Amino acid sequence: MDINKDSTTHFGYKTIAEHEKQQKVSEVFHSVAQNYDVMNDVMSAGMHRLWKRFALDTSGVKAGDKVLDIAGGSGDLSKLFAKKVGPTGEVILTDINASMLGVGRDRMLDAGLTVPAMQCNAEQLPFADHTFDCVIVAFGLRNMTHKDLALAEMQRVLKVGGRLLVLEFSKVWQPLEKLYDIYSFKLLPLMGKLIAKDADSYQYLAESIRMHPDQETLKQMMLDAGFGKVDYYNLSAGVVALHKGYKT
Amino acid sequence: MFKPLITRFLQHLTNQNNWARPHLLSFAGKVIQFNFSVANTSVLILEDGSLSAAGDTAVADATVHIPPSLAMRLLAKDETAKSYIKIDGDTHLAAEVSKVLQLMRWDIEEDLSRVVGDIGAYKIGEITQKTLAEIKQQGANAVDMVSEYWQEEKNILAKKRHVEQFNQDVDTLRNDVERLKKRLEKTHATLSQTDTTQQVKPNAKPAQESTEK
Repeated sequence: MDINKDSTTHFGYKTIAEHEKQQKVSEVFHSVAQNYDVMNDVMSAGMHRLWKRFALDTSGVKAGDKVLDIAGGSGDLSKLFAKKVGPTGEVILTDINASMLGVGRDRMLDAGLTVPAMQCNAEQLPFADHTFDCVIVAFGLRNMTHKDLALAEMQRVLKVGGRLLVLEFSKVWQPLEKLYDIYSFKLLPLMGKLIAKDADSYQYLAESIRMHPDQETLKQMMLDAGFGKVDYYNLSAGVVALHKGYKT
Repeated sequence: MFKPLITRFLQHLTNQNNWARPHLLSFAGKVIQFNFSVANTSVLILEDGSLSAAGDTAVADATVHIPPSLAMRLLAKDETAKSYIKIDGDTHLAAEVSKVLQLMRWDIEEDLSRVVGDIGAYKIGEITQKTLAEIKQQGANAVDMVSEYWQEEKNILAKKRHVEQFNQDVDTLRNDVERLKKRLEKTHATLSQTDTTQQVKPNAKPAQESTEK
């Protein structure tokens, strides 16, 4: 894919130059970093913990495995995976945003876990081919400018037989769409304003969810990126979907 | 909503039955579907030898068909019911996973002990087992009573020995009919042969007569 200054991409409902997206997303997460987990709990009524736990349960990760957590932010998934792989395994926490990564790294240290934290772009992963048994990206793919490049990179760093788990907002069950729209575009920015003092970032969140590929499209994108087999789970009526791709 | 809960339970079950992991590991990534006619459930074997609910778009490598009536017999530990289970696809996978699942035990006392302590969990387990055994016994007694009433008082059900006698009589009758049929066929064949001989003789006479003339 060409990456030049004339190409455009989505930032929520806005169309912006590709080179601007990374900076704009970065601003959003700098802004919400400190209240990120509180807002996640409030917005999802604690469901995000159940979704993340489910991702861990279906990963098939065992003691001694190597796991890469992309866009790991506040590190809650890295923490769960670190316990699962044990002292013989390794989890690497990465995020493109320094503020989010700082929150995650501090939390790992507070929990007594020595998880390496690395600031890097998912579209250019600084790891050798066939390195990891499992790669996970939770609520991060949506914010990436070139999703196809990122997925190809994730496929590259996986060992043969390795799994990519993509946990992301998706297309909600049709009868609930209107209710979900009201929640997303009325309540979410209001909660952002009251709790995180940042309505714009949560308006972006709602818009970016709508612009993200639906379940079947993302499945096809993963197949196009080179995964041999892809399957997905709809969680909470499709509010969130967990895609699992196998490198064959 | 249910998939995370089903997966949590399956993982818990695998953790309690760690012996099952090596048996399942060789089938990692495979999907097995249990078809109960009224509902289906698919299970995915994970790379660590544990189990999880399969994804919404998963294609089953093997399907085990268990109609509700058969499921009830299997739950009642009726060994003969197993021979009626129908399997499609990878039969080796289906047979191995079904065997492992049948041998897995949910150690409910272990789980309860974390909430109410070891003694409490043991007592609850003991009371539950006794209660279940009592319910099973009372259920069997009730069935016996009702069937006896229907057999003796109402004549709705036939007694086992009467049915067996009836079956024996039907078998004897069938054999007798078969024998009679054979005898009739034999008699018919003999009669046909006799008729043919008699028909040949009158034809021969005029020929002789014409020669004499």
